[in-house]
Amino acid sequence: MTLDEFFAPKILIVSGKGGVGKTTVAAALAVLAARGGRKVCIAEVDQKGTLPKLFGGAHPGFTPKEMSPGVWGLKITPEEAMEEYLRVQYHMRRISKVFTSTHFVDYVTTAAPGLKDILVLGKVWYLEEGKAGAAGHRFDTIILDAPAAGHMLTFLSAPMGLSDALRVGPVRKQSDWMIEMLRDPARTRVHLVTLAEEMPVTETIETSEALRTSVGLNEGMVFANAVYTRLFTPTEESRLAKRGELDGELAVAAKAVGVELEEEDIDGLIGYARFLTARRKIQSRHLKKLKAKTEAPVVELPYLFSAGLGLPDIEVLADVIQRGIEETDA
Amino acid sequence: MSILPSIIQEKEVIVCAGSGGVGKTTTAASIALRAAIDGKKAAVLTIDPARRLASSLGLKALSNDPTRVDVKTFEKTGIKVKGELWAAMLDTKTTFDKVVQQYAPTPEQAERIIANRFYRNISGTLSGTQEYMAMEKLYELHADGGYDVIVIDTPPTRNALDFLEAPKRMTDFFESRVLRWFLLPYMKAGGGVMRMANVAATTFLKIVKRIVGTEVLEDTAEFFGNLEGMYEGFKERARAVARLLQSNETTFVIVTSPAEDSVAEATFFATRLNESGLPFGALVVNRVHPQIGDPVELKPRQLAKLESEDGAGRLLAKLIENEQSFRRVVELEEANLKELARKIPSHMWVRVPYLEQEAVDLPGLLAISEQLFH
Repeated sequence: MTLDEFFAPKILIVSGKGGVGKTTVAAALAVLAARGGRKVCIAEVDQKGTLPKLFGGAHPGFTPKEMSPGVWGLKITPEEAMEEYLRVQYHMRRISKVFTSTHFVDYVTTAAPGLKDILVLGKVWYLEEGKAGAAGHRFDTIILDAPAAGHMLTFLSAPMGLSDALRVGPVRKQSDWMIEMLRDPARTRVHLVTLAEEMPVTETIETSEALRTSVGLNEGMVFANAVYTRLFTPTEESRLAKRGELDGELAVAAKAVGVELEEEDIDGLIGYARFLTARRKIQSRHLKKLKAKTEAPVVELPYLFSAGLGLPDIEVLADVIQRGIEETDA
Repeated sequence: MSILPSIIQEKEVIVCAGSGGVGKTTTAASIALRAAIDGKKAAVLTIDPARRLASSLGLKALSNDPTRVDVKTFEKTGIKVKGELWAAMLDTKTTFDKVVQQYAPTPEQAERIIANRFYRNISGTLSGTQEYMAMEKLYELHADGGYDVIVIDTPPTRNALDFLEAPKRMTDFFESRVLRWFLLPYMKAGGGVMRMANVAATTFLKIVKRIVGTEVLEDTAEFFGNLEGMYEGFKERARAVARLLQSNETTFVIVTSPAEDSVAEATFFATRLNESGLPFGALVVNRVHPQIGDPVELKPRQLAKLESEDGAGRLLAKLIENEQSFRRVVELEEANLKELARKIPSHMWVRVPYLEQEAVDLPGLLAISEQLFH
């Protein structure tokens, strides 16, 4: 698949459980898209503020702000989305203020669950259309860093739920537009992020299956994050497991470059190598299950040892994602 | 010396709290397992739908009511258990239904509430419901279950505050004047006079109705109408739960990983426990990268030379590269934990290294248990 094909749908929804590195992957996708000259908007929903940490700079607000060349960021809150919605759709500037104070949004979104998610998706729709709320911008790529709370499916199937619940009225009509936007393969793709661990893999498999069947959204790729890179060959691994003569050989090799290896030094070297092998074994078991049970292509992203992720790491991940996309059959 | 052995001797309720993905459920199960081994009738109540917990205990599935781990399962694995181990998984909806049935003046009113659409939404999606019901279930097990020790994990909320304030937020939500004012025209009990008095509310509702439709509002009004007279019961129960959590029968165990985000959450949580007058017993730091042997020190020039070789020299270069990577992580983790060390005294710390195996069965849980109680 070419990058142009990958970025043909304008809206990319990046979904995953909390703590799997969803925002990091969303940021890498944004950087990758911007490299091709696209004007990118990345929208964060949770208020954890990972975006400014990755890109540097201040927290983005409800209005898009350029964080890095070609990459714009914004933070969507249901309250602000509701206020904007009332202002744009009903021209109710004053009354919208009442809504957003007094916790009214809390009650209404409880009465009609999914409304909160619709408000977020509605903002994405505004951005796609380049209409009011896009503040004059027209973006080529819109990346939504989906909320981490609850099951991924709750968010992705919110418009369908609301559409079922409401028979008539403007919200019904708008949730139908939302569904149209989400289900159109030319407009929207859902990319899933997971770790090579039991719980996130299980949920990713469930989500992937449901997207194809009941929810009817178009799945893009599955990104398996923080996978330890293979460093040792199988022969080396079995030698490391046995140790034996290896200690002496390593000491000789070290001496040849002028380094004395004590026993504790070798313990450290071999201990960490075995640790890597053991963790990789656990990860590969989960990756095998993931690949067997999802139809979407799985792209493995490397575990990065650097201290706190920043833009250079995002660039590295963007490179890996690019290779992953290009190696995937369209 | 771990502080946990004395905790399971002295406490009846152990609440494991922390951010998601730090191994809370496994920690809770391992603590309960050890209590059972020591002769207690122990129960673990999990909030996470962690399917692995059931299978690692040799159970087909977990339900809202505790299931006992079969003595034969222990015998097969050679683990000697003097007490009993029970496990349950919170079912928010079932627990909420029970609460409604308990406090409704008549069974008919309880049925009306349970059948209401707004109620069905609340019991599934309102934030805080799960936390509230977790506390409710804990209270029930503690009062009626006859357990010596109950270990509970908490919902994987991003914000620890959610969990502590859930009962209060839920009762506030039910009692909100604002909400009742808005819904008055819809409540049958409101009557004609009330309708007149609420012209402003009616105007407001017209707009809401245009947006979300009449049904949603009617469902909501019906729900709150039916809830009338039950608030005292809810509040009394919330107070009883708060008393239990603050009593010296209870202790909180904060679970974290050494990652920056979860350490920040753990630090915050420790502060909050303190402020709320809740008893804090131990800090478990899971998934700590191990410190193995001594670091090899060499100059970049020497490493470059090794890299250019083959055989043992090349392997040594890779081993050094790998070690340096992991030592960077170890250093980073220690730096993250430093902040926590300022807040939490060292005798409360329990460090569990990143094990080379997952806890997929009882021996796996036992291995973690041994690390926790070491």
